Amino acid sequence: MTVGAKVKQTLSSLKSVKSTVDIYAAQSQPAESSAAFREAAEMVNGVISDLEKRVQKLEFEEPQYKGL
Amino acid sequence: MSEWLIVLLKSTAMFFLALILIRIMGKRQPDMGPFNFVTYSVIAVLTVLISVNVIRNLVFGLITLGVWVALPIALDFLAVKSKWVHDLINGKAIILVKDGKVMEENLIQVRYTGEELLRELRSRNAFNLADVEFAVMETTGDVNVLLKSEKQPATPYDLGKQVAPRPESQTVILDGNVLDEPLANLGLNREWLNDQLERLGVSPANVFIGQVDGTGELYADLFDDSQQVPQPKVKELLYANLEKAVADLMSFALETNDLQVKEMYAKNAGKLKRVMEKLKPYLLR
Repeated sequence: MTVGAKVKQTLSSLKSVKSTVDIYAAQSQPAESSAAFREAAEMVNGVISDLEKRVQKLEFEEPQYKGL
Repeated sequence: MSEWLIVLLKSTAMFFLALILIRIMGKRQPDMGPFNFVTYSVIAVLTVLISVNVIRNLVFGLITLGVWVALPIALDFLAVKSKWVHDLINGKAIILVKDGKVMEENLIQVRYTGEELLRELRSRNAFNLADVEFAVMETTGDVNVLLKSEKQPATPYDLGKQVAPRPESQTVILDGNVLDEPLANLGLNREWLNDQLERLGVSPANVFIGQVDGTGELYADLFDDSQQVPQPKVKELLYANLEKAVADLMSFALETNDLQVKEMYAKNAGKLKRVMEKLKPYLLR
């Protein structure tokens, strides 16, 4: 597996983490836990956008592995 | 009218009268003070005496009964208004053990022997007098015990652990019927519930009790006990996924030679670690 593919895999698993955290943020009952989940989702989002930038760069460097 | 008919009528009437009077007197439960006990006893005895026609004059009987009902109610009202009256009626709580030392004078005041004190402490799970910091006899006669701080059960606060607030669960299905009000309290609806049940693979009619906890997780108990319900493991999975992502980012950081990229990966791994730290009390219990 190339580095690009590995990074993509991590990226997609992080995206799934983020969406699950989002669900918890929406359905948690006390405002306190809801806020904690929302904050966590935002932090994960920051990591996701950094990784996305990295994937773009990798695809630019190795266009033969471009895809999805 | 023959005597037996009178007794029958009076008994029936007194039965309902007593029921109403006790309801009026309030919700005091059995842990009442000694005087309340006397009041209730007098009412009970009067009711019986009137019922079996021992008190021949109905009016006299009812007047006595009325006094014994009205006075306690009046005194209760006064006690709410005035601390002095309250102390007069109910007495004061008496301290039996203070700073780990038995107050012998107070024991004599409540006519307790050392043996009895120890028995009461034991019934409160304080088998060792050395563990007791403070014990007090309430006005109802109960003894309440405060253990020394090092002997008290450890709480998350003592351990320095952060825990998530856990509000009470709401029961959303009872006996196969969906309850709309608790669902609405959680900000959820029937569609959500049906969706969750479908995921568990059960029909609503098969659920005896369904509860939703504070994080919106559904627990279902089925009529059909042979059917296994998958218990939600989403939170544990989420935490494991986060852990895996951190490990991945670390290994990327090690693999790359580009210093800037290395730093980016390391920074993000740190970020995810903080997220894990933050969510740990909510995801793992």
